Amino acid sequence: MSSSPTLSLPGGRNAALLQGAGFTAILAALLVVPLAIGNDFVTHIFITMCLMAALSTAWNLVGGFAGQMSLGHGVYYGIGAYAGVILMNMGISPWIGMFAGGLIAMVVGVVISYPCFRLKGPFYSLASIAFLEVFRVLALHFSSLTGGATGLMIPLNLGWTWMVFRERWPSLVIIFGMLLVTLAVAAAVRRSRLGFYLIATRERESAARAAGVQTVRVRLIAVAISSFLCAMLGTFHAMYLTFIEPAAMFSLTFSIQIAMFALIGGLGTVRGPLLGAVLLVPITEWARAVLGASALGLHGFVYGSVLILVVLFMPNGIIGFLSRYAGKQNAEDAAPATTQTDTIKAPATPLVPPAPDRAGIGADIMRVEHLNKHFGGLHVTRDISFTLREGEILGLIGPNGAGKTTLFNMLSGFLSPDSGSVSLRGPDGKFHTPANPADFAALGMGRTFQIVQPFAAMTVEENIMVGAFYRHHDEKAARESARETAWRMGLGPLLNSEARGLTIGGLKRLEVARVMAMEPRVLLLDEVMAGINQTDVRRAIDLMLSIRDSGVSIIAIEHVMQAVMSLSDRVIVLASGEVIAEGDPRDVVRDPHVIEAYLGKEFADAQA
Amino acid sequence: MTTFLQILVNGLMLGGLFAIVSIGLTLIFGIVKVVNFAHGEFLMAGMFITWLITTRLGLHPYAAVIIVVPALFVMGALTQRLLIQPLMSARDDHVQIFATVGLSTALINLALLIFGADIANTPAHGLRAPISLGPVRVLTGQLYIFGAAIALVVALHLMMKHSQIGRAIRAVAQNRSAAELMGINVNRIYILSFGIGAACVGLAAVLIAPLYPTSSNIGTYFVLTAFVVVVLGGLGSIPGAFFGALLIGMLDALSGFYIGSDLREAVVFGVFLVILILKPSGLFGNRRALSHLS
Amino acid sequence: MHIRHLLLSAALGVAMAGSALADVKIGALYPFSGPLALLGDESARGLEIAVDQINASGGVHGEKVVLERGDAVDNNQAIGEARRLVSLVGVKAVFGTYSSARVIAASQVTDLAGIPYFELGAVADEVTSRNLKYLFRTNPTALHMGRAAIDMLAEKIAPGLGKDPKDLKIGIIYEDSSYGTSVAGHEAAYANERGLTIVAKSGYPANTVDMSSLVLELQDKGADVVLQTSYQNDSVLFLQQAHEAGYKPLAIIGGGGGYSMQPTADAVGKDIIDGVYDVDFTQYAVNTEATPGLAEFVAAYRAKYGAEPRSGHSLANYMGALAILQAIDAGEGFEPDQIVAAAKAIDIPDGTTATGFGVKFDETHQNERAWMMGMQWQDGKLVTVYPDKAAVAPMRFPVAN
Repeated sequence: MSSSPTLSLPGGRNAALLQGAGFTAILAALLVVPLAIGNDFVTHIFITMCLMAALSTAWNLVGGFAGQMSLGHGVYYGIGAYAGVILMNMGISPWIGMFAGGLIAMVVGVVISYPCFRLKGPFYSLASIAFLEVFRVLALHFSSLTGGATGLMIPLNLGWTWMVFRERWPSLVIIFGMLLVTLAVAAAVRRSRLGFYLIATRERESAARAAGVQTVRVRLIAVAISSFLCAMLGTFHAMYLTFIEPAAMFSLTFSIQIAMFALIGGLGTVRGPLLGAVLLVPITEWARAVLGASALGLHGFVYGSVLILVVLFMPNGIIGFLSRYAGKQNAEDAAPATTQTDTIKAPATPLVPPAPDRAGIGADIMRVEHLNKHFGGLHVTRDISFTLREGEILGLIGPNGAGKTTLFNMLSGFLSPDSGSVSLRGPDGKFHTPANPADFAALGMGRTFQIVQPFAAMTVEENIMVGAFYRHHDEKAARESARETAWRMGLGPLLNSEARGLTIGGLKRLEVARVMAMEPRVLLLDEVMAGINQTDVRRAIDLMLSIRDSGVSIIAIEHVMQAVMSLSDRVIVLASGEVIAEGDPRDVVRDPHVIEAYLGKEFADAQA
Repeated sequence: MTTFLQILVNGLMLGGLFAIVSIGLTLIFGIVKVVNFAHGEFLMAGMFITWLITTRLGLHPYAAVIIVVPALFVMGALTQRLLIQPLMSARDDHVQIFATVGLSTALINLALLIFGADIANTPAHGLRAPISLGPVRVLTGQLYIFGAAIALVVALHLMMKHSQIGRAIRAVAQNRSAAELMGINVNRIYILSFGIGAACVGLAAVLIAPLYPTSSNIGTYFVLTAFVVVVLGGLGSIPGAFFGALLIGMLDALSGFYIGSDLREAVVFGVFLVILILKPSGLFGNRRALSHLS
Repeated sequence: MHIRHLLLSAALGVAMAGSALADVKIGALYPFSGPLALLGDESARGLEIAVDQINASGGVHGEKVVLERGDAVDNNQAIGEARRLVSLVGVKAVFGTYSSARVIAASQVTDLAGIPYFELGAVADEVTSRNLKYLFRTNPTALHMGRAAIDMLAEKIAPGLGKDPKDLKIGIIYEDSSYGTSVAGHEAAYANERGLTIVAKSGYPANTVDMSSLVLELQDKGADVVLQTSYQNDSVLFLQQAHEAGYKPLAIIGGGGGYSMQPTADAVGKDIIDGVYDVDFTQYAVNTEATPGLAEFVAAYRAKYGAEPRSGHSLANYMGALAILQAIDAGEGFEPDQIVAAAKAIDIPDGTTATGFGVKFDETHQNERAWMMGMQWQDGKLVTVYPDKAAVAPMRFPVAN
């Protein structure tokens, strides 16, 4: 027995090393166990595992890394199978045929994917299914080439040249080798610029474009690699099956299975698809062997149910499950587009005493206590505590990435903190700790989004009415309330315009208006002044003051310093997820920690 | 000429059939944003219940609507609550697709387990009687399906447009987070929408059962076509789905006659791809379609 | 060796119990789940009854025959199960398989492994056209089906209708998988050979939900006779939609599948199905003088499964399995070459088996004595009407109007 092959995969140290060792052990077992047992059936199961793992890993380049959920990868597999068999019947070895099939599949993949990349989410999936169906029907129809429904057989010429063997182990060795190649390709892509570009594109295409990524091109490259690999695997499998037919080669069920293994293993990871196949293939075989003969449909029912349970209890795949179970995130699987910069260390306790109370500021309405939040390995907010008082405007500032929006998401229930609490004083005078956005809203919390999220095709009035319905169950009353709010926010003349037609200033006002129609007691404003002109800033400041005067407490994230200084009763400065300063706006801007956080250490040192 | 007319009428009736199957799917797709691969199995379940009621109790198949529609509503609502909702927060929303694939597999095999592999035949009670309309013939049951499809479109349109629940549904479909902020209980709306979508397919099942043999895998015959219809119609647009279904029905009938029955799937999917690529918002999805789940 | 054994049990963990003390193991490879499950299971019952009968009369070479099931739900699975049966269970031969695609896939494996494979029910030509060394087929094939349909049309139906067969316009429709395609191909080729006129030949996917355009095409081309090769769903659809469109061809001849099944008749109703012809394996309403042993088979089936046979598949499998097992018993042993020699030595004359046909393998290992019968639905029952020696009732023809 030769030493077990290893594959170096990217990952962190320590824990990742352990996981890597486990993974390598599983990989080695795929080859060693069947060879040690030396039984044809066991070998067949392991060949199926290797094949599915390899197909799924190749699929993952498109489905996971590029985020294009293809459910039609059978097209490439089928092309490879047909190319291999047709060429073999012409006397050409499948070793050559698999490359020919790979090239054809690559061309087909690029040609059919190029127009489809405009499609998002489920639309892309459905298009890929449609292509699969078209290929299947065409393979049935053009029977002179494909043999039609009766399929094609290969001559049983034994030997390495023809990839057909009496024993099973040579097939195992070949498919294991192909699995290693596929894993190596996936690992290489994952580590390369291409991988980062792919994932960046998947996460937010517009942002990736802004970063200079040619998003279509990188995804086409992913498709080309993926389809090439799938076709080669298809050629192998055709030689292994020795018989192919359109229904089996261009099968939707099979294509879904390919994607499923990756999903269950861990989408967008290098190792996930293999783990998925290693887990699921034996379950399938077991269910069939134990239940298959006892009652018609029983094992299919069990299989479907197991699939549901696996998805329900491991929605982020085996890799996600393992990471969570181990209580740590594998470096490989953390959001890779985020590069962690050196965090700025600052004292945790606020140094500046609170500014003297302005007349009209009342008792506490919101208490934020020790909020912590991690995203993967990144500590996004760190032990944040503060209070908001009735009728107060609290400015929230800090450099980009300080965790302001995350904090807002936690303050409004869109994210739940890892630890800590947010409590709101209800109309009953008691403090409550709501758990989800609806509960927050019920206590009078309203918020806007940094990126405006209007109901684009509804009119301004309808937009605001959706907010107003929160207070008014009667349509007429809601409409009246919405109109009133609209006029108050200066949107009166635009009531019947579609929201998509508004200027950015208008959209920001609409965002506020919709929240105001809910008559909130606490308002979270996320950069409502960003990107609007000077006149609008003036109007927005007046608007906020008038809102405050109506008794609403406000927390505002703002970069427009003019607004921050003139509006805020108090300011909190956030950097690297921590509160580094709190107090009167004028004092806070002079704080060296704040200057350092905004402008860098050198600048702060020079000032000092 | 008569043949051509008959093809058009056949296509129209087929369109009605596709429409009534697809309306529920477009609701779920448009609001909950889930590609429900188990949709066809909902239809299958509804057809089996109709068959049971009709044969066991000797009732007219349409009487089964009293049981089937609520039963399917519950089935849909439970699917959303127990299967989809827990997955809403998953890192990747494609997880839901696979949950519904699992559900589909489980349901097909459950039916196989309970009813066996044979076809179940719902008594037609005269619904298969052909009527002559001038030179062309249609079935009574087909006409009812067509009429029911139109009625369903109108009813859902009115509900979405004029009821408070309809507005809430539209708001959620538009923008989940914002609607949530408005105090709409989004999860409840999702459960309700999934239930309504499934109830629609329950209605379809009652109407289809007397006309088509029921078997455990009848759903797979419909589900892909239904997806094509939904996408062509524009995301979540109910009238869009209706006209999309008519288009697919016509295309199916015409290509089946003039191009060849074995290639008509390729034609339907081919046209679907061309339209999808040229106009991803769907044939009938215009700017307002997004706001109007009506 | 011990470690190997341990590893094996550990790796499998699969319930292989119950197969421990078997004497001689035979594989039963059928689709027991998935879309082909119903007729796969029905086919397997025929094999089971044959095995029971053999065991009751002393087994094979004095050893009890034990069946080991393999589920050939898809092609990859057919291969996997064939491997399991051959290498893990150690069967002496494999019987099967109902589905042509599955037997083609699985028999490539068994042939490489040198294990005899006996096909008892799949009809595609390719099963025996590959010159495999260890594969034999006892049942009639697509070729027999196509020929029987055309022969019955030309020799019995056309005269009965008072027509010259050459004047009839034939429309051929078929589901486009391997089964329908190969039967339709033989029908067309043989009809041409006999100088008959084919006006339409159209395939369609078996999972179709609408056949109205096909009906219109047949009407448009004036087809007097329709030959359909189909599964159940599409048989029902065609018969219903043709009826509803007012299309009444002089004769409809089904090619097995859905046309041989009682549920099809129940689904479309007696009025529509009556008069429809069918060509298939031997069915049960047949002149038992031509099929000795059929009544005993039906009795055994009822006793074992508590129901009537669901189709002729079980009978065909029963007859084939019985012939093979008896031949093995008469042969020299269980070594593959001994079994092959025993199979090659089979010479059962026509008219002496439960299916009516004899068994003798030609050089491709196809049973050259196999043939199919013609049936007609009469009063909601499928009765054999062709050929005369097997007929239990005269053919009925539509009353001329």
